[in-house]
Amino acid sequence: MAVVAAAAGWLLRLRAAGAEGHWRRLPGAGLARGFLHPAATVEDAAQRRQVAHFTFQPDPEPREYGKDRVFNTPLCEQGIVGFGIGIAVTGATAIAEIQFADYIFPAFDQIVNEAAKYRYRSGDLFNCGSLTIRSPWGCVGHGALYHSQSPEAFFAHCPGIKVVIPRSPFQAKGLLLSCIEDKNPCIFFEPKILYRAAAEEVPIEPYNIPLSQAEVIQEGSDVTLVAWGTQVHVIREVASMAKEKLGVSCEVIDLRTIIPWDVDTICKSVIKTGRLLISHEAPLTGGFASEISSTVQEECFLNLEAPISRVCGYDTPFPHIFEPFYIPDKWKCYDALRKMINY
Amino acid sequence: MAVAIAAARVWRPNRGLSQAALLLLRRPGARGLARSHPRRQQQQFSSLDDKPQFPGASAEFIDKLEFIQPNVISGIPIYRVMDRQGQIINPSEDPHLPKEKVLKLYKSMTLLNTMDRILYESQRQGRISFYMTNYGEEGTHVGSAAALDNTDLVFGQYREAGVLMYRDYPLELFMAQCYGNISDLGKGRQMPVHYGCKERHFVTISSPLATQIPQAVGAAYAAKRANANRVVICYFGEGAASEGDAHAGFNFAATLECPIIFFCRNNGYAISTPTSEQYRGDGIAARGPGYGIMSIRVDGNDVFAVYNATKEARRRAVAENQPFLIEAMTYRIGHHSTSDDSSAYRSVDEVNYWDKQDHPISRLRHYLLSQGWWDEEQEKAWRKQSRKKVMEAFEQAERKPKPNPNLLFSDVYQEMPAQLRKQQESLARHLQTYGEHYPLDHFDK
Repeated sequence: MAVVAAAAGWLLRLRAAGAEGHWRRLPGAGLARGFLHPAATVEDAAQRRQVAHFTFQPDPEPREYGKDRVFNTPLCEQGIVGFGIGIAVTGATAIAEIQFADYIFPAFDQIVNEAAKYRYRSGDLFNCGSLTIRSPWGCVGHGALYHSQSPEAFFAHCPGIKVVIPRSPFQAKGLLLSCIEDKNPCIFFEPKILYRAAAEEVPIEPYNIPLSQAEVIQEGSDVTLVAWGTQVHVIREVASMAKEKLGVSCEVIDLRTIIPWDVDTICKSVIKTGRLLISHEAPLTGGFASEISSTVQEECFLNLEAPISRVCGYDTPFPHIFEPFYIPDKWKCYDALRKMINY
Repeated sequence: MAVAIAAARVWRPNRGLSQAALLLLRRPGARGLARSHPRRQQQQFSSLDDKPQFPGASAEFIDKLEFIQPNVISGIPIYRVMDRQGQIINPSEDPHLPKEKVLKLYKSMTLLNTMDRILYESQRQGRISFYMTNYGEEGTHVGSAAALDNTDLVFGQYREAGVLMYRDYPLELFMAQCYGNISDLGKGRQMPVHYGCKERHFVTISSPLATQIPQAVGAAYAAKRANANRVVICYFGEGAASEGDAHAGFNFAATLECPIIFFCRNNGYAISTPTSEQYRGDGIAARGPGYGIMSIRVDGNDVFAVYNATKEARRRAVAENQPFLIEAMTYRIGHHSTSDDSSAYRSVDEVNYWDKQDHPISRLRHYLLSQGWWDEEQEKAWRKQSRKKVMEAFEQAERKPKPNPNLLFSDVYQEMPAQLRKQQESLARHLQTYGEHYPLDHFDK
């Protein structure tokens, strides 16, 4: 399958590109056949019931944290987030999981109308800063409409929350710990395709990666490429292709925090290069690239050598069988880059 | 007894989880120590005789096709202590509250009533933008508040100002919030009646309905984990109980075993939607057993009934780590808000009945009079005094400036993001040039 081959090739590219830490190929890594389960929902083997005689094996004792700290809830996203907000209001730390970002919408009211506004509306008497919501995000090869979405743009429009998306295991740990410790409610979207496809050495002790700071992962002089999550690896590859085929030097930036976003790093880069390409899987119209594009043209208008380019998903729901055509792959990004250079 | 039989027909006595319906009709007794979750005590099936093996329900087989008929004609009975004339019906249910406490209940309700009248008028005169009165529901507020500890956390909807009043929230701060003046702890950000008070453990009100319900459950869970000996009480109306968040909250509270009191003020209307258009079942109390929640329906205009139910619910919620649902039947005598004219959808006669014949304040006053703890003179003096207090606070609130416009920008996050600071500076520059077109005189410099 072209998609699996693409993933395999991409994984090798990850190695070549010299990501932090040491990359190694997991045996059998690549896209999972069948349904991808985020690690947190894999059923504990000890709990499986035997049908014939209905022996119920209780949880192995003792768990490290206990069932009162890590637990299932009824199936209700608005309840999960509302409950998490309530815990955070008392000052305790709450980490709420939404099984797929596609299912976060029932919780939209609690997130936007409640969590984001808790501190402001109470005059800082109350807040739910110790709430973090984590959710698998982005395309996975076969997820279709409801297991592939990237809804960061919906939340970007909501002052009061932070939205963070890591590109790798090392980034994930540092950014997630920062979200948990941050005194504001945070949404942490985890690119699900990377759960099995990415491997990296991650320090055992805790460490923080600051929020609202974009990272220039490769310096360059001719074009600025901006992405987040999985797409960072795609534009990294595009940077190599551009160097090889066009002799063009690209500056590659991982935005990392969607809101509040690091305007200064992006603008500084565009002032240097004069060209900007932003890419995301989410649909083009109203996608977060439009916010970046709008701000950059305000701040860096006279530095621009070409119109800002956005390479995004189409304005359709995320399709199943057509995924290879839908996603903003390296060829589309490369083509857009070429047009920008030749503008 | 007739009630017991009817209930048995409606809800089959089940072993296991759904004992709530039967327990309703018995005197609530101590269930002892915190019980472990029934699920963990699932028995080993020792034989394969013809019993249901389904993990989803604990029940017997039946070979007769029979639908359960919901009973809305003789629904869950309404617990009361006083009759409409304030006389104790069953002396063993009299909470025998000391005189000071009953007077505090009475004065809280009447002070609230006085404040409501004055602030409603002030909206009509254009002094404040909006107001919601609590007419007729004062009993639900103070009866429940009096049964709680002062540190119990309160999540409200918007018609629970009496809880704050009972907790001695100063008139100055009620007014400050309504006026959005410089003394408002909420920093002028919300519409009137969206009170909040950290000191008095009253979480700031928000407009979206029922959003507080799952939040209250989470807070109760945190209190349980902290061994805080604290209950959380969550108020909402019968209309908000239709929201998905209510369903979510009830289910989470039961499954996660949270020490929470769900207090539903069933006042007959959700703005203009009467209860006949809000639900078809037997109100809100009947939903509790569906979730496995201990439930009761009380006369919300009977302060002692509200008090007793809340007191017992609190005791057991904390001792047993389980939720309780209290549906307080009452009537919304006032309009929904200053944006509503309820004569458009209900008769003046109906409103007058409740105002004159079944009002929590009058009923408690009758009780006070019959105890010899109150008389006409004290009533006159108190009315004068409370009105004076309210008017003074009102006049002061009017005179104070509004907060500095910089407070428009703070508290969005704990720290102000760089981009927001730029916007704040941009407004400051704009006001330097165009300030004359803005009401800067009313705002703190």
